[in-house]
Amino acid sequence: MGQTTPAWASEARWKKIAIWVTAGSFVLLVFLTFDTLSKVSVGGERVRAYSVINKEIDYRYDEKQKRFAPVIGKDAPLFGQALSEEEAEKLVMLGKKTTQAKNCMNCHTLLGNGAYYAPDLTKAWLDPGWIDAANRENLMLAFLKDPAGNARSFGSGRRMPNLGITDEEAHGVVAFLKWMSAIDTNGFPNNFKTLNTKE
Amino acid sequence: MIEPVALQDFFITFFSAALIILSGAGYAGLYAWAKLRGNPRLLLWAYACYAVLAGATFLLARATHLNGQWQVLVGLMLTGYLLVPLGIWKLCVASHGDENPPSPFL
Amino acid sequence: MNSIVTALPGKIASVFTRLDSPYLNGGQQLAVKYFSVATVLFFAQLLFGLLAAIQFVAPGFLFGWLDFSVNRMVHINAMVVWLLYGFIGSVYWFLEEESGTEIAGLKLGNIAFYVLTGAVTIVVLVYLLIQTGPGKDSTIWFINEGREYIEAPRWADFGIVAVMLVFFYNVAGTFMKGRWSGISGVLTLDLIALAGLYCAGMFYLTNITADQFWWWWVIHLWVEATWEVLVGCIMAWSLMHLIGARRKIVQTWLYIEVALMFGSGILGLGHHYFWIGTPDYWFSIGGFFSALEPIPLVAMVVHSVYDAGVHQFKSRNHPALAWIIAHTFGNFLGAGVWGFMHTLPQINLYTHGTQWSASHGHLAFFGAYATINIAFFYMAVQKWRGNVWMGGELPGNGWKWKWAMALLNIGVLGMTVALLIAGYEQSFIERAVEGSTWSGYFSAQNHPWFQQAMHWRLLFGLITIAGLVLLIWDLMTIGKGETRPALQLSEA
Repeated sequence: MGQTTPAWASEARWKKIAIWVTAGSFVLLVFLTFDTLSKVSVGGERVRAYSVINKEIDYRYDEKQKRFAPVIGKDAPLFGQALSEEEAEKLVMLGKKTTQAKNCMNCHTLLGNGAYYAPDLTKAWLDPGWIDAANRENLMLAFLKDPAGNARSFGSGRRMPNLGITDEEAHGVVAFLKWMSAIDTNGFPNNFKTLNTKE
Repeated sequence: MIEPVALQDFFITFFSAALIILSGAGYAGLYAWAKLRGNPRLLLWAYACYAVLAGATFLLARATHLNGQWQVLVGLMLTGYLLVPLGIWKLCVASHGDENPPSPFL
Repeated sequence: MNSIVTALPGKIASVFTRLDSPYLNGGQQLAVKYFSVATVLFFAQLLFGLLAAIQFVAPGFLFGWLDFSVNRMVHINAMVVWLLYGFIGSVYWFLEEESGTEIAGLKLGNIAFYVLTGAVTIVVLVYLLIQTGPGKDSTIWFINEGREYIEAPRWADFGIVAVMLVFFYNVAGTFMKGRWSGISGVLTLDLIALAGLYCAGMFYLTNITADQFWWWWVIHLWVEATWEVLVGCIMAWSLMHLIGARRKIVQTWLYIEVALMFGSGILGLGHHYFWIGTPDYWFSIGGFFSALEPIPLVAMVVHSVYDAGVHQFKSRNHPALAWIIAHTFGNFLGAGVWGFMHTLPQINLYTHGTQWSASHGHLAFFGAYATINIAFFYMAVQKWRGNVWMGGELPGNGWKWKWAMALLNIGVLGMTVALLIAGYEQSFIERAVEGSTWSGYFSAQNHPWFQQAMHWRLLFGLITIAGLVLLIWDLMTIGKGETRPALQLSEA
């Protein structure tokens, strides 16, 4: 038994190959993970500092990169009040925790991941549905606090249920959405016309 | 880095991608079957499947703009799906080497 | 009152001990407990999937009571947990035979089963009754973590890890006491990876890009790497048992599979890092390894043809073998064809986050994992009945298992195709034409193609549930009163 199996097809050889391939792939993944995490830390070019919510944010086609990319503009403090980095982080954190606590991801997608019953929230801050920058914050707050009463169903019959989002949490969620819209997502979604470019 | 698929090429993209995997499996399966039965006509059908795979790869490469470094991917698909079934077949025969003759049909 | 509460654990345990069978060893008795809970959760998965599917068609259905988010969460969580219950049960099933000794710490393993099942029950009840909480850490700890697939609150995470440690002790301890083999070696290492990866999903991050980066470590490296290898181990043992495949060959191929799966699957993680804020070198890595990921499937095709040609399949359990064949097709179509159709970043830009993912997910999870568990259930029930005949010529020509199999496969395939059409339309209208705005999203949702697809999905969902009901009925009755012994395989 076994003499007729050549070494290259033997169990022992493939055991070694399996171990080396697995270990090699994993080492590469760890290396790439360190590199990626350093490139996506908050405050970098890809994921902006939380205080980016003090600025005007847009999303436009970038000729050089040949894709859509976030554009950070002039001062435009959220809710009319410029925040320090710490204050901004606190507000965005409240918003992020609220999106988790309210289970947003099982209807919506965030950065394209989640469920498909409600629109993607990646660029929700920039959506032309808010009509213009002047009314946006108030519309968003009112919607989050009473989504069923301010339903934005677009004729689909689908409504967001009232999730008991407090005023404070609603402010946090808006801050989180504004901050998220500034993340450089490699051009996803493509061809998105923001409320600034609507005309 | 990438050039997205144009709207009119959506269908061809999905179709050719599916075809690559399906004809890849067809080629692999027919190749194995031909070897098993020692039947050269089946081998011909296997190569026909591979020709479909190559054509689909070409369509996919055109629709998804696989230019520049993405050409590596095209080369990988063409050679990988060509050679892997041969290698796996050899492995099957060799690893079952001390078993009954490889084919009841021979 | 007090006496009722103190009597409760005993009562619950007595329900499960009624499942004991004199034909099984200790690990197999425990496995049957896992399998029975798995089946209940399988039904829950389909039931809550059905509610969610109805809401796509009639959005007012249960609005404010059981909203889509709740139903969808229970749908996918029940799936993950029942599949894991099936895997854990399968491992307990063959542990004693594979190691040649009794299970180390079986009593602890039994306690862990009740703890885990109790925890799962509480988690689901909280999902259903409390649903959401305030935007604080307490919600993440006690109600809902709000991250798709791993919504289980943090307390449950620690419970799961504790139970997994007991499971791991059972497995590693038993092999250490008895004998090691190729299968047990791969299995033990894979379980370490599986448990370790879960920890990557157990911390809170405000930075959503880093959050989703680690989240995919858990989801992808479970589903497209460690689960596949775990199933490979279960399959390897099953094939020896079911058709008398030889150990040396099975183990060689297990190693080949590990090399191919991990070689393509670990860095295949890259195809989830296109759009979440991570650097664009992931385009090349994700694209490259995604093109490699079907290779294990092509290898499987060659090997299946070889095996089918060399052996005249003599199986001791027809339903189990039929489900394994369904696995090869389902895995190939769901993971291979459906995966590759939308994986390259050039097209994924338009398909990411649409019903495309749902289409792929339905067929791939069913084909790659549900089928294997069902096959194992049939092998278990055969021995549970006293190693009875389960070849051809079953009473009624085995109509129950055949119809259950047909309905489940037609149901899932039908849902997959319906979702594919919906996703295709969505990527066209919402993504490409209208640029993913909210109004673009809804014009795609309101489109007749989408609407009709959702009706078809509901219909095929009902067919799937009918198949499951029949399957459960069959599992409870097959082999009852059978007097013929199972077919003996010379090579086993």
